[in-house]
Amino acid sequence: MNIRIALAGNPNSGKTTLFNALTGSNQYTGNWPGVTVEKKEGKLKGYGKGETTVTVVDLPGIYSLSPYTLEEVVSRKYLLEEKPEAIVNIVDGTNLERNLYLTTQLKETGIPMVTAVNMMDLVRKNKEELNLAQMEKDLGCPVVEISALKEEGIDRLIETAVSVAKKAEPSHRLVFDEKLESVISAIEKKLGGLLPQNNPDWYAIKVFERDEKVVEQLCLTASLKQEIDAYISSVEKEYDDDSESIITSARYHQIETMIHDCYVKRNRQSDSISDRIDRVVTNRILALPIFALVMFLVYYVSVTTVGSILTDFVNDTLFGEWILPSASAALESIGCAEWLNGLVVEGIIGGVGAVLGFVPQIFVLYLFLAVLEDCGYMARIAFIMDRIFRRFGLSGKSFIPMLIGTGCGVPAIMASRTIEQDRDRRMTIMTTTFIPCSAKLPIIALIAGALFDGAAWVAPSAYFTGIVAIVTSGIILKKTRLFAGDPSPFVMELPDYHIPSVKNVFHSVWERGSSFVKKAGTIILLSTIIVWFMQAFGFENGVFTMVEDMNNSILAMAGNCIAWIFTPLGWGDWKAAAAAVTGLVAKENVVGTFGVLYGFGEVAEDGMELWGTLSSEFTAFSGFSFLVFNLLCAPCFAAMGAIAREMNSAMWFWIAIGYQTLLAYACSLCIYQVGTWITTGVFTLGTVIAGIAIIGFIYLLIRPERKVA
Amino acid sequence: MPLTFTAAGKTVKIVKVKGKDDTVRFLQNLGFVEGEPVAVISENAGGLIVRIKDGRVAISKEMACRILVA
Ligand SMILES: Nc1nc2c(ncn2[C@@H]2O[C@H](COP(=O)(O)OP(=O)(O)OP(=O)(O)O)[C@@H](O)[C@H]2O)c(=O)[nH]1
Ligand SMILES: [Mg+2]
Repeated sequence: MNIRIALAGNPNSGKTTLFNALTGSNQYTGNWPGVTVEKKEGKLKGYGKGETTVTVVDLPGIYSLSPYTLEEVVSRKYLLEEKPEAIVNIVDGTNLERNLYLTTQLKETGIPMVTAVNMMDLVRKNKEELNLAQMEKDLGCPVVEISALKEEGIDRLIETAVSVAKKAEPSHRLVFDEKLESVISAIEKKLGGLLPQNNPDWYAIKVFERDEKVVEQLCLTASLKQEIDAYISSVEKEYDDDSESIITSARYHQIETMIHDCYVKRNRQSDSISDRIDRVVTNRILALPIFALVMFLVYYVSVTTVGSILTDFVNDTLFGEWILPSASAALESIGCAEWLNGLVVEGIIGGVGAVLGFVPQIFVLYLFLAVLEDCGYMARIAFIMDRIFRRFGLSGKSFIPMLIGTGCGVPAIMASRTIEQDRDRRMTIMTTTFIPCSAKLPIIALIAGALFDGAAWVAPSAYFTGIVAIVTSGIILKKTRLFAGDPSPFVMELPDYHIPSVKNVFHSVWERGSSFVKKAGTIILLSTIIVWFMQAFGFENGVFTMVEDMNNSILAMAGNCIAWIFTPLGWGDWKAAAAAVTGLVAKENVVGTFGVLYGFGEVAEDGMELWGTLSSEFTAFSGFSFLVFNLLCAPCFAAMGAIAREMNSAMWFWIAIGYQTLLAYACSLCIYQVGTWITTGVFTLGTVIAGIAIIGFIYLLIRPERKVA
Repeated sequence: MPLTFTAAGKTVKIVKVKGKDDTVRFLQNLGFVEGEPVAVISENAGGLIVRIKDGRVAISKEMACRILVA
């Protein structure tokens, strides 16, 4: 027998932390509401009692069973349609009242349930007390105190949950006051046999709340629907409130009475530390400078200082001086075939090594992100940025995907689910990958190092380009019919700040950092091997052979087929074209391919400066144009897949990819053409086209807004 | 009067949340129901941070205007 136990509860109540503790997995946690956006299943760790297996299901946080955003729909669907054998309802003990609101709704579903009061470490620290026996009696279900973070009470919780699931005793809803109960039974009577017999009350309440989904499901006849509608309206008149609010108030009333006799609440300090921090970091004047400073520090330290010191060491010393020459010598000494030596040294070590060299930078970046995510500042960033983003037609919540996107675009695109309105969500999906992800970091560092002599402005300019692209896209797209309209008003719960737990931060850095390394060992490895073979073999003097001149290789042939497309951008060379295309598989490939074509091979021979020949084939403007194109153009296949899933429409997928590619092409064109014209005075057709593109862009930016009906 | 008129540090009671859309329903689920005390913690250019039940919620000015308090 397999028992499915669903973890349901308010956002940020600790469901994923518990899930990780129960299953030994390493799912994404963070201190803001809406971290988990997809359900996740895992096997219960160390539970193998006889025939029974237990599957734990982590769900996105919900405030109620009437979903507001997309990820909440996932949870409602799972609970109502897949009917797990038991629910573990995670309740944040420091915010009992609000959390129990959902509990009252979960109890109505009839699914056997255990309530787990989480964050007990904090509750105890506040010297507050919970009367468990009383609470169990009031709620009518077992209650267990736990601390998911400290892994306390977990065993008891599981035992209870499994036994509840085995008993399969449906949970019962709490009763409302007499008047409301009579309304509900009146509705039940009117609907008669139409209601599913296993849980008629739930359906009746939902009908009263005018829940569209349920009403649809019941397939009422027009006349019956009218009768019920009239009845609900009459009740609404009596209460002088709409039906949904009547139920909401009634639920909160139930909870108040319950809390009263099972919870000893201390008069909390009216002005907590978090409130005081908020007063500074969301301050009218200080909010933005503080935010800018934090962001600058994060990227400056991880990309430019600490990160790059480590990266230079790995690249120049570890790979350049130690691994490469010794590998080459070792292979020679055992008399290995020349081509194999080439494959290993130039192909694999050159390509994969070029990518692995950036591992330190990426770990440092992830470290900062993990701290940001776990301390509680993320939700504040959304709030601060809302005011500004609103002007560009985006909601402040769009900023969270963008920050996550500095790590990886795939979770970033998924994180957009928490945005209420479809058009804002779609726009966020389209634009969020403009922010350089960790895989684009090597491209930035490569261009900065090889072409700009490590100039400090290059890395920040890449992030700046991303932000400007997002902002201008926001303005331009909002003026089109597809996206017109205001974002929903901002409402978001702000969690307490806390010092990031070492365990969480470590896990998060390890999980994401190691997946970068894994990717280098799989996709990137495979790609560089293919690239190496393609550049090593080709037709010379009419026979297929290992080529002397790389320009005769298959890769050169393939590259030349598409290189003309990029000629107006200043890098119509087959090598650059090939690099950009392999970048679609994974962005690290851009550097990997360059590594094979230019990189370490040279170093091994003459010990010359790394990437020496690369710089001779680019000018400053063509280099920057190449960088911008790769930053803005369609992301890697994984992220494109995420876009396709989240857009859930072929048309929208192509709109997104098309827009990104077009914007990337136009920007690179303008950078190269205008830059070349200004510095060398060469005026060509390309310059004219770039000029037209710029004028068109400005027009799109400043044209009057479309009026929404 | 709208919640926006409440000074930081003051606690008031909710009279009504105006309108009937998804955001209003969401606010009600968060605990913004009639008669509930709500304390304004701080105010900044974008909106308000308020305490409701034991939670801390950030709301934009635009939305705060629609919360009537007394
Ligand atoms: N002090 C304390 N903190 C906890 C406990 N459980 C979770 N947390 C913290 O609460 C925050 C939220 O935890 P998550 O597990 O991501 O919450 P969630 O319920 O999955 O949130 P969503 O996915 O957004 O619905 C994290 O910062 C955790 O470290 C606990 O028992 N004690
Ligand atoms: Mg979660």
